[in-house]
Amino acid sequence: MQKYKKYFKPFIYLIIFIGFIIIGYRNAKPRYKPENFTDIFNDFSWLGNWPKWLDFPLMQPLNAGFDWLIVNYGMFFEGINNFLLGLYTSMKDFLVGLPWPLVIAIVIFITYFASGKKTTTTVMVAFCTFFLGFLSPRYWDKCIMTTCIVLIGMGLCIVVGIPLGIAMARNKKVRNALLPVLDLMQTIPSFCYLIPGILLFGLGAVPAIIAIFVYAVPPLIRLTDLGIRLVDKEVIEASEAFGASKKQTLWGVQIPLALPNIMQGINQCTMMSLAMVVIASMIGTRGIGDEVLLGLQQLNVGMATEAGIAIVLLAIIFDRITQSYGERIQERTQKKKKIDYGKN
Amino acid sequence: MKFLRNLLLSFVFAGVMALGTTSANAACKVHLGDFDWDSANVHTAIASYILEKGYGCEVQATKGSTTPIMAALFDQQIDIITEVWRDNLVQLIEDNLAKGNIIELGVNTPSSTQGFYVDKPTADKYGLKSVDDMKSAEIAKLFADPEAPGKGRMTSCISGWTCYTINLVKHKVYGLDKYYTNFDPGSGGALDAAIAGAFKKGKPVFSYYWTPTGLMGKVDLVKLEEPAYDAACWKEMTAVVEDIKKNGPDVYKPTCACEYVNMKLTKAASTTFANNPANKPIIDFIKAYSVPTADVNKSLAFYMDESGGDMEATAKNFLQNNNMWEKWVPGDVKKKVKASL
Repeated sequence: MQKYKKYFKPFIYLIIFIGFIIIGYRNAKPRYKPENFTDIFNDFSWLGNWPKWLDFPLMQPLNAGFDWLIVNYGMFFEGINNFLLGLYTSMKDFLVGLPWPLVIAIVIFITYFASGKKTTTTVMVAFCTFFLGFLSPRYWDKCIMTTCIVLIGMGLCIVVGIPLGIAMARNKKVRNALLPVLDLMQTIPSFCYLIPGILLFGLGAVPAIIAIFVYAVPPLIRLTDLGIRLVDKEVIEASEAFGASKKQTLWGVQIPLALPNIMQGINQCTMMSLAMVVIASMIGTRGIGDEVLLGLQQLNVGMATEAGIAIVLLAIIFDRITQSYGERIQERTQKKKKIDYGKN
Repeated sequence: MKFLRNLLLSFVFAGVMALGTTSANAACKVHLGDFDWDSANVHTAIASYILEKGYGCEVQATKGSTTPIMAALFDQQIDIITEVWRDNLVQLIEDNLAKGNIIELGVNTPSSTQGFYVDKPTADKYGLKSVDDMKSAEIAKLFADPEAPGKGRMTSCISGWTCYTINLVKHKVYGLDKYYTNFDPGSGGALDAAIAGAFKKGKPVFSYYWTPTGLMGKVDLVKLEEPAYDAACWKEMTAVVEDIKKNGPDVYKPTCACEYVNMKLTKAASTTFANNPANKPIIDFIKAYSVPTADVNKSLAFYMDESGGDMEATAKNFLQNNNMWEKWVPGDVKKKVKASL
């Protein structure tokens, strides 16, 4: 008995596989099937082209499930929609309402303190911000819309992604369960969730925020996980030796030491959010992305490129702010090393 | 030795590649232009099936938005388009006809409608019959645009389609712009999904839409009355529309506006392709090609409900269940197509 134990798992997989084939055959349309089941063993022509009866019926149950979701949980999605939309509109209206010099001043202020009072970064970001409106005045409001969507999407990513990343680093089972999901989220074409997003949330900003979440949260989760696992074993042992509880080790040692990596994750998350928000213009999301789309649809190369440059500028702004903040944290957590360099 | 072996291998490889390409060389090559809505896809599928099986051609189809695909046709990169919404593109097509870039090949679908639609339950409940009925803040509230407080939302065309600008002008002329946004859904799929999603949730819909489409058979939309079509009026409006397309919405000036004409969907070919004597049989076939609206709708219903999203199966189904196509092609081609079915 013991001898055959190693065949147990493959055997289960084989049964599932055969079950799938039977389901596929039974669900195939009669006109695609041979008249008799036994014909399969007499006439081998089906080995040439992939036979039409060998077709796993995934589309119909997915559609039915989706309809069920809309009918039964419509209110739930409506709630999410109203919450996110309320957040987005109030944020957008507030920022659009502010005079533009004030917005630039706020960006400069944030950059200056986030980068640890680095003048070069601040000046560069200020220039980029000014150029958003300078490229074309109508870009200004659109860039603000895009920024709001990206910020809300990022907020969602951070709230969900960092705890998941921590859970993944601490528990192998969670890790094994999450990794395939992350792979799926990163590789599935974005239109697969953009179009259902419209059915659930309607056209506009909310499906874009959801799409951003799906697309941009994996790197954040992965880098948080990596950051925490990369913390030196000795350091953790030392903290445990001093009698720190698991919680104290996490908050006092692991997270602070993993912060540079987590910041890198947030930075990646921002860049991917920005990429997604441009694609999301194809589902009616207002923002700088629809200028690119419009340029493309009207074969207006200049227009598309101009808007493309605006997106690049926006990306630089986001990147420089998060990057410089990450560098500052790194300097803070690894201060000792820096002093050593100074001595050398 | 190693060098010699590599050389030999690369020769073999090159030889295989060359053989591969020559054997794929068909009697003719046709590049069809396709659009991002389903009725155009059906025609492209049927035409390419006949061209492939009947004429033995190598068919390539490129799908895209109106502007790039039309531009590719004018640029002679695409040979044939089987569904052209001519009246929406009058100016563009006439300019290019004058320049000799394209040749028109007659009517495909004799009648199609486009216009402003409201879902039936809402239309019945509030007695919405014409665009004038829409002009009230209370009605607009039903279709509230969550991103533009105080306004309703009319999902419109994609900004790349000419009808987006036509709708923009119509909104202004009808006075709808005070109450509704002319909302660009971004893509054809998104527009369909928005309408289908609203129906699934039982929410009011106010949208631009058109027939023949597969979705139209599944949802109950009521067309709103607009001022009757008048050729002179349409021409005046199109001039404003083209101006806006070129110079932005600021150049809008008051004009007259009327409903979309029940238009004929036409076919067109690039001049280079059409003037090549070798392509004459193909041009004759495309000239004869015409499918009535009702049959397009049937094919679209089959595509949506039965084919499982397989356009080639839809084309086959059309060819199996109709014999109108037999008149489009000469006898030998007909035999070949029949044999392949």
